[in-house]
Amino acid sequence: MDPARRLGRAQIDVFAQLGVSTVLLGGIYALIAVGLTLIFGIMRVVNFAHGEFLMLGMYTAFWAYSLWSLDPYFVLFISIPLFFGLGVLTYVLVMRGVIHASHNVQIFTTVGLSIALQNVALVVWTGDFRTLRPWHASVVIRVFGTAFNLSQVVAFVIAVALTLALFAFMKWTHTGRVMRATAQDHDAATLMGIDTDRVYRLTFAIGIACVGAAGVLVSPLYAVYPTAGLQFVLLAYVVVVLGGLGDMVGAMLGSLIVAAVEVLGSYVFGVAWKEVFYFVLFIAVLVFRPAGLFGQRGAETLGV
Amino acid sequence: MASLPPRRWAALALLGVAALLPLVVRDAFVLDSLILILMWGALSAAWNVAGGYAGQVSLGHAAFFGIGAYSAALMTARFHQSPWLGLLLGVVLSIAAGGVIGYLSNRLRGPYFALSTIAFSQVLLIVASRWRGFTAGSEGIPVPFRPGLWTLGLGHVAWVYVALVVALVYYGVQVWLETSRIGYQLAGVREDEDAAEALGIASRRLKIRAVTLSAAMTAVGGTFWAQYVGFVDPFYVFSIDLSIRFALNTIIGGMGTALGPFLGSILITSLETYLRATFSGLKTGFAGIYLVIYGTALILVVRFAPEGLTGVAGRLGAWRARADA
Repeated sequence: MDPARRLGRAQIDVFAQLGVSTVLLGGIYALIAVGLTLIFGIMRVVNFAHGEFLMLGMYTAFWAYSLWSLDPYFVLFISIPLFFGLGVLTYVLVMRGVIHASHNVQIFTTVGLSIALQNVALVVWTGDFRTLRPWHASVVIRVFGTAFNLSQVVAFVIAVALTLALFAFMKWTHTGRVMRATAQDHDAATLMGIDTDRVYRLTFAIGIACVGAAGVLVSPLYAVYPTAGLQFVLLAYVVVVLGGLGDMVGAMLGSLIVAAVEVLGSYVFGVAWKEVFYFVLFIAVLVFRPAGLFGQRGAETLGV
Repeated sequence: MASLPPRRWAALALLGVAALLPLVVRDAFVLDSLILILMWGALSAAWNVAGGYAGQVSLGHAAFFGIGAYSAALMTARFHQSPWLGLLLGVVLSIAAGGVIGYLSNRLRGPYFALSTIAFSQVLLIVASRWRGFTAGSEGIPVPFRPGLWTLGLGHVAWVYVALVVALVYYGVQVWLETSRIGYQLAGVREDEDAAEALGIASRRLKIRAVTLSAAMTAVGGTFWAQYVGFVDPFYVFSIDLSIRFALNTIIGGMGTALGPFLGSILITSLETYLRATFSGLKTGFAGIYLVIYGTALILVVRFAPEGLTGVAGRLGAWRARADA
């Protein structure tokens, strides 16, 4: 093979690898972001503690693996009801009282929750970086010159399946319709006999169950420590704002865009600078299209 | 003087105690706590100008703090100039940055604005921690200690008075915002921007000015903090935790009140110092226990006493006055 063609072939491989990495990463980001956007869309609350629930999900997987050698994919079945329950509990104890309060009260309630949860983890489990290495984290799959490990693929498949399931639930079930009705017009929904408190409780619980599942799924891929949620949640904010707060399809597209920016940015400029790109993108979107790339204009100035 | 409201008397009394304390106590631990209480109080007051008086709740004020801290640290460590020049540079840079954030505050409200300020401080964090050639990257910068006022190499007692002057000036700025025409206009914008606009108040310009003033005040605080502590770590000076600290002090003390940020700082800084001293010997992670208390306190305060300590004190006062009558 002549050198020019070989170079061309290598280029194609690089782009294939970048493309595959983008899609795999995007699927996981989508699951994190979809819970955030659901809570925002229906409750009109930005959950600043979202990352801490992700961190708790990661710790759940870590402890189940190191104490009882349970595989994270098995833990997933336990974590979903567990985090659903945690979501209900958090809603009843913390969120219910501020659901009709001002933005500032809501922001600082969830910020307070975030500080408290982060440091409970720090006190109980110390600040050590912990990793778990189940067998599938070291299985490398090679297809068409691209390489990725099995944990990544499984995490992607499950994340996409859960995201689609949630999407179908919102679109086609009665409960989903009730939730969307509440999102559109809280007062009208109440007049139609919808128990909005129950809707909010369910919404918050589903959102937390999603992010808890995401935490379990990413646990074989990233180190677990008390502030592990931060990097992901900052990303999830970018995704959610890109897609338009409250827009689930937008969140999925936003995840792919952010993943692409991250993957391309780290390939071209090095891993050290990758975050700059999505924050700059974030600020640019906030300035030029604050309602999201696909959203309606004006939502941001209403402060919804 | 007799017509001063009880709040002002309380503030003057607190500042008086702070001024007299170094004459009596020479213990470095006590003086250090006092300096930190005054500095965090002043920085929270700076946040209060934007968050409390103008209603622009930022979770990225660490950006301005970091600008001030880095300007002075780089000026002294890299260019061998006075930190006062660094202070000046920090103010200029933070006015520019504050202008950008102020502009954003006109386009974004509520959680959108808070998110954009977080993103802004994160960008600065990444730049400061990765631009190794200039900022020394994530290793941080040790600030050289050269004795003298011009080089800000001061002893504990002198630092108490520097911090006290800053605190007094910032308290004064807040009182001005409560009593001046601009302050009333700002309150109007905060409570109902559309109504304020209808009354002919230039709400956009006013918000930008308030955010910029708050940014400059925060940068000055950052400069003094860096010179006092003697080390600038990008992951601390630009951290979200720090941004939250400014907001937390103010909310617990009382948003939009001149005394609030200082009351919050007294309570929280001393709680932190006490718990750190108590738990530091036990287990590394136990240092975090005061943050668990912070977080819980924040949730409880915004829920049950959103007007903060000053508001609670005011309510108690009114209740007692009624009981007396």
